[in-house]
Parts: sequence; C-alpha cells; structure tokens
Amino acid sequence: MAMNPAQRRYIGRMIPVSIAYVAAIFLASSLVPNGSPATPVTVAVALVPGLAVVGFIWAMGSYLFELKDEYVRLLEVRKALIATALTLGVCATWGILEIYTNVPRLSIFWVFPIWCVGLAIGGLVNRLTLGAGGGCP
Amino acid sequence: MRNRLKVLRAERDWSQGDLAERLEVSRQSVNAIETGKYDPSLPLAFRIADLFGLPIEEIFLKD
Repeated sequence: MAMNPAQRRYIGRMIPVSIAYVAAIFLASSLVPNGSPATPVTVAVALVPGLAVVGFIWAMGSYLFELKDEYVRLLEVRKALIATALTLGVCATWGILEIYTNVPRLSIFWVFPIWCVGLAIGGLVNRLTLGAGGGCP
Repeated sequence: MRNRLKVLRAERDWSQGDLAERLEVSRQSVNAIETGKYDPSLPLAFRIADLFGLPIEEIFLKD
C-alpha cells in the first residue's frame, strides 16, 4: 500500500530519532556506569536518551495531527487509546502489587515500551474488529 | 447507516482505488465506508455527494 504524505514524514522523523536514541543509549552506557551518583554531568548524559524518547512521542503526535485521512486517523486514535488503557492498567495493577507484596519493582523506564506494545495490540484489535490495523506502527 | 457507494461506484466502473483517489482518501477508507464499518464525517460525505452529483440523502440512507 502506498504511503500517504503524513506517513512518509512520520518515517522520515522516526529514522533519525531512532538512530539518535540508539547512539544516546550507547553513549550513556559507556560514559555513566549503572548506579552512578546523580551529578550534573551524569544527569545531563543520561537525559539524552530521554530526549530521544520525547522525539518518538513528538513524531507520533505530529503524525496524528498531519493525517488528512479521517478513517486512518480513527484507526490510529483507537490504537493510542488501547495502548493508554493497557499501560494505565498494567502500571496501576503492578503498582498495587508492589505496595502489598514483594514482587520485583517495575522501573518507570518500561512505561513507554509497554505503551508501544499496546499500540501493536491496538492494531490487532483494529484488524479483528474493523478489518484494518492502521497506518504506522 | 447504509449507503449506495458500491452501486454508484460500479455504475461508473470505478475501483475502490479510483474512488479513493478522487476523494483523496485511502482505499481502506472507501472500503470501510462501503462495508458500513465507518460512517464518514459530514465534510467527507459532502465531498462524496459532490463527486457523484447527488444529494447526500440519496447516497447515505437511514437504517
């Protein structure tokens, strides 16, 4: 299926942001050992991958705003809602488990990856209920 | 909401892709509207009506 202009721009944003994310993770991993004290330098280096994640979110949000095709936008919004519901459900439930039991602590680093898994599940739900997954992953 | 999009398209010998191109939407949008999985917004319904030269109520019908 041919990509629409919004999808092309989305891919065009995601590729450099993904490269920046991987590079920033490698940089932070090599410069800041796990468990280092929070100094201005270590915090600054560790913030760079976080900014790349903000870049992912910016690319996804821009894609939603730039989509001209209202049906494809509906599919994407449904995916995002399902992903948000899943993330809230998993995090809140696990948080309560952490309060009352000694289950392993879930780092908030995992919130965004869980949301991305939710997007994939949302695409599956779209496919099962509407016969079409959506535009971009 | 039911619609006569498939019939109107067939009368003109247009594929779903042809109609999608004329409406500047995706083929999956046309398919979703034709199969009743999605009701278009009023602006898109007006674009469809303009394209076929028909009033909206002759294309989209109440259940």
